Amino acid sequence: MANLTSEQAKQLSDNFFMLSTALLDFRVANWDSLSKDDHQILSDARSKSLEFGEQILALATSLIMNEVAESLDTINQVTTDIKGTIKNLKNIQKGLNIAAAILVLGIAVLEKDPGKIGESIKGMVGAWGEG
Amino acid sequence: MRSFLNLKNLIFLLAPFSIFSCVNLKTVQGFSNTSSTGLQQFEEIHYTFLDHCQDRCFEIAVHEFQLERELECECGDFISADSVTQVIYSTINGYLLGLGELAQNNLTTYRTNDLNVALTAQQLGPVSIDESVVGAFSALSNTLLRSTTDFYRRRKIASYIEQANDPLQVLLKKFEQIVQANLKGELQFKKERLYGNFIELKLNNTLESDFEKRKAGEDYYNALLEINRLEKMIDIYAKSLHEIADGHQVLYDKRDKLSLKDLAVDLMDYSSEIQVLYTEFNKLNQ
Repeated sequence: MANLTSEQAKQLSDNFFMLSTALLDFRVANWDSLSKDDHQILSDARSKSLEFGEQILALATSLIMNEVAESLDTINQVTTDIKGTIKNLKNIQKGLNIAAAILVLGIAVLEKDPGKIGESIKGMVGAWGEG
Repeated sequence: MRSFLNLKNLIFLLAPFSIFSCVNLKTVQGFSNTSSTGLQQFEEIHYTFLDHCQDRCFEIAVHEFQLERELECECGDFISADSVTQVIYSTINGYLLGLGELAQNNLTTYRTNDLNVALTAQQLGPVSIDESVVGAFSALSNTLLRSTTDFYRRRKIASYIEQANDPLQVLLKKFEQIVQANLKGELQFKKERLYGNFIELKLNNTLESDFEKRKAGEDYYNALLEINRLEKMIDIYAKSLHEIADGHQVLYDKRDKLSLKDLAVDLMDYSSEIQVLYTEFNKLNQ
């Protein structure tokens, strides 16, 4: 048996909705002539129709998942690629910062100043670690 | 060789790149940001499938005068429906946010201050670089960097728009179906249950005084107005989903001309329409 589609489930839900309104309209039109038992039967049937309709409508939404699985995968892949591109572009900034830090380290080495060398190494590590 | 690489020649060499880099991606960024803001209004609807299930459970218990210590509601299918809705919503939103971020101008504006300071340091050993030359070099190198990265970005964006368009159209259509047909459909049931409960009250003659009748009438219409308000919000929201889909289709159709002015004009209609719907939606949400 073929699986139910979301559209078919929605149609089914609409049918239960129509049925429940028809049951209430019938009850209202014949209010005084119906027995207490008749009222109860019609009221229960209407309640059940409403509940089935609501439940099937929720199911129709879940069924959409099967229908969009491929599209979801594609968009998620594109989004991951976009994030990768953004990261690459941001890495250029990181590269510039590291270049500056290396230059500062070079100056410190030329000066043979251990204190400055230590500071510059820290600066370079910091530039490497950011982002 | 040294004279060939003076500042004037450098400017001449870099001019074409510079002109190229002036081309901006504001149109793509603007549309993505407006669309993403419009899409996120979903979170302002404040009505989910689970809310519907719990309301229904409460209404049935009240109608049938069921008194329990704890009201237990079977809402598994409704929770699943919310999960599916959330997955689709987050996927579309993630894409639009990513596209907007990638098209941002400041993404390829790099800070070269640190490098300039390092280059102009007095203690650069035997090499001495004049501060003004460093400034000019920095400006030109930034332009070159920006032009190459902008070119790279434009190519990437066009390719992402191309890959994403078909699945995005499917997702937006299905998301619209979930919101407008299914979630709004649940509200129709809520309305019908409400009507049934009050019509029973009326026809059973259980309300005796005029005061009770008027109070019941007021309660009914207040509840009805609240459902109608939610329905209107959903209708407006669904329209904006439609505009997002159409706008993205325009981006797709003109993906090779992302920098042209007429694309900006074409997309302006969609962005404006989404903004109008955004305002309309917010009015209902106040």
